[in-house]
Amino acid sequence: MLVAAQGGPAQTPAAPPPAARPSVVLEGREINVPVTLAGNGPMFGLTPLAEALGGTLSTDVSGESVSLKIADKEVVIGQGNAIITVGDAIVSLSQPPVQGEGGLQVPLDFLRKTFGDLLGYSFDWRPETQRLTIARRGTRELPVALDVVHLQGMTTIVLQFPEEPRYKVNRQGSIIQVQMLADRLTPPAPKEIQDPLVQGVTIDPGQIRVQLAEGAQAESYVLEKPFRLVFDVHRTSEVEVPTSPSAPAGRQAGIHTIVIDPGHGGTEVGAIGPSGIQEKELTLQLARELEAKLAQRLPVRVVLTRTEDANLPLDMRTAIANQNKADLFVSIHLNSSLGSGAYGTETYFLSPQATDTRASSSAATENRAAAGSAPATSDAASSANPANPANPADDTQDLQLILWDLAQTHHMTESQRFANMIQGELNEMLKLKDRGVKQAPFRVLMGATMPAVLVELGFISNPDEEKKLKDPAYREQLVDALSRAIAHYKALVENQPQSQPAAPGTAPQATPPAAGTPAPAAKPPAKVGRPA
Amino acid sequence: MSRRAASFILGFALALLVGGGLWWWIAGRKESGRGHGAASAAAQAGQKVSFQLFFPADGGAIKAEPRDLQVLDEPKDRIHKILDALLVGPKAAGLVRPFPEGVVVGGVLLGRDGTAYVDLRWPNHEEPPPGGSTEEIQRVYSVVDSVTLNIPQASRVVLLWNGVQRDTFSGHLDLSRPLVPDRSR
Repeated sequence: MLVAAQGGPAQTPAAPPPAARPSVVLEGREINVPVTLAGNGPMFGLTPLAEALGGTLSTDVSGESVSLKIADKEVVIGQGNAIITVGDAIVSLSQPPVQGEGGLQVPLDFLRKTFGDLLGYSFDWRPETQRLTIARRGTRELPVALDVVHLQGMTTIVLQFPEEPRYKVNRQGSIIQVQMLADRLTPPAPKEIQDPLVQGVTIDPGQIRVQLAEGAQAESYVLEKPFRLVFDVHRTSEVEVPTSPSAPAGRQAGIHTIVIDPGHGGTEVGAIGPSGIQEKELTLQLARELEAKLAQRLPVRVVLTRTEDANLPLDMRTAIANQNKADLFVSIHLNSSLGSGAYGTETYFLSPQATDTRASSSAATENRAAAGSAPATSDAASSANPANPANPADDTQDLQLILWDLAQTHHMTESQRFANMIQGELNEMLKLKDRGVKQAPFRVLMGATMPAVLVELGFISNPDEEKKLKDPAYREQLVDALSRAIAHYKALVENQPQSQPAAPGTAPQATPPAAGTPAPAAKPPAKVGRPA
Repeated sequence: MSRRAASFILGFALALLVGGGLWWWIAGRKESGRGHGAASAAAQAGQKVSFQLFFPADGGAIKAEPRDLQVLDEPKDRIHKILDALLVGPKAAGLVRPFPEGVVVGGVLLGRDGTAYVDLRWPNHEEPPPGGSTEEIQRVYSVVDSVTLNIPQASRVVLLWNGVQRDTFSGHLDLSRPLVPDRSR
């Protein structure tokens, strides 16, 4: 059954006779590789192939496993085991590597999954001629797009490719080199980079070179569909997420501009109370009253997202806050519930899942996949998944999503701290039922690039609370509590940038707290609903 | 035996053979049809399965109510039946129906990736019912939880209103992305 054969010295291959011995031809030249023909397919001697194709073989001390180093990946092979590891990936083979003539012998799919995938070789086995032809796959010309964005003390470098390149990353001091192994890059137009953490990025056909600033370090990861190699660059001493709002470009540290968002408006009436009063009316009233109160109390600029009964898309509300470089965003709402008996106040900040870079990216990817898998008859499904993988605009959207995620993640801690202060003030002043600080994937909080909360100031669907909410004196108390929470937060941010988060139940203070006021640990928020 | 007689006997035997074969084939078809029909009827009748339906409850909560439903094995059919029952409303006191009367399931799709697309339709109503955030959470998660916590093949839900995906139903929850169940209760 076994036919072992060896090629002779390197020679130019001639047309093989019908009963030719097995042979291996690399780039038109026969090389000396033992080939064994078995029932499950041919097996090839690994040692000469590793030498010819570019790999380093070593055997562990116990002799049980063999390590093959190809580029920056290590392939670990257990004799007689059809499972190997390629880097972190576990790969199944059609048959296990075995000891044979000239050492370890491996099946054809081993060669394809190692040298093929990592170095770009193709392996063509023809049973009729018993010849394995190895060639370098056509070198791909891959365009690469570069984006460098600095946000919140961290720089993100995104290298985007139409498909995954064969590359390896080398680091030496402050230089990161992305070396192409079998592909060539088409560099984008040169871009001047002015960044505190990245001195420059140069892209040649064979490599990408990132020069970091002194004291900066980078972590890399990849995102799929489209393939992106991402480097997060930060100062060595700034790995932790800041616990106080840092000042993005164009903003001064501290709380100077506050955007108040009266919920709903126009045809979006919001909740409706038993007496017929609509949420949109009361939220506008409360927002105006809060604006006046803040003008009296604090040296801040207050911007209302709407000042009349008009429709205003949710994304526009946060856009207004972003355009005004707001330091705080407060969306004011009144609640309603199905069933009876709900009352009290609650304050929301965004779900962490909604701000998670990977989750958002994967959700976008999944949306696309779902669009692809949904039945063609589904108009609904296609409208649900507008993203078109072929559309370059989607890549931009993905990038924006990532950048927004990064920014929002930095604000999550602050949003929670601020939400805790609001609930603390409302509880203390009004002795209302504390429904707590919660998290939810609320659309109006998603685009904000500053600490942002949505506060529910009572249940308009509850007859008792509706009655109170219509009373100007009661609203004055609510507004007073909100303004105190804002003052408290402003003072904490500006006077105690390194302090710990405050907690609900923090005693109200008529004046902003002095530096050094202890701030208890925050209570974990309830998470309500999450996007995938 | 004359040549003519031999031909006659051969033809007769051949006719018998063909006729017998035909009879056997037709009888077999009838039998097989009867068997298939019975199996088909059984499959169409389905079976009674216990589910947990999640309804809005007093105090702004969402609570489960057990319900036995006659369903097929197909996940899509189960999702449809669960939602039909959900929209009809609860049996227990303290629970309420998540959507106004007249809201029906327009269609259910289940993607290979585990995303269930649920299209809710309310004839003569372009917009979903208005409400506060708790109300919207109760509506949306009564559907999301009833689907995902009963049907293993459905891990997340995309909600559509009258065949269109919206950013939000009543101004709070982001519905532009699939939602996974809220297990915080």
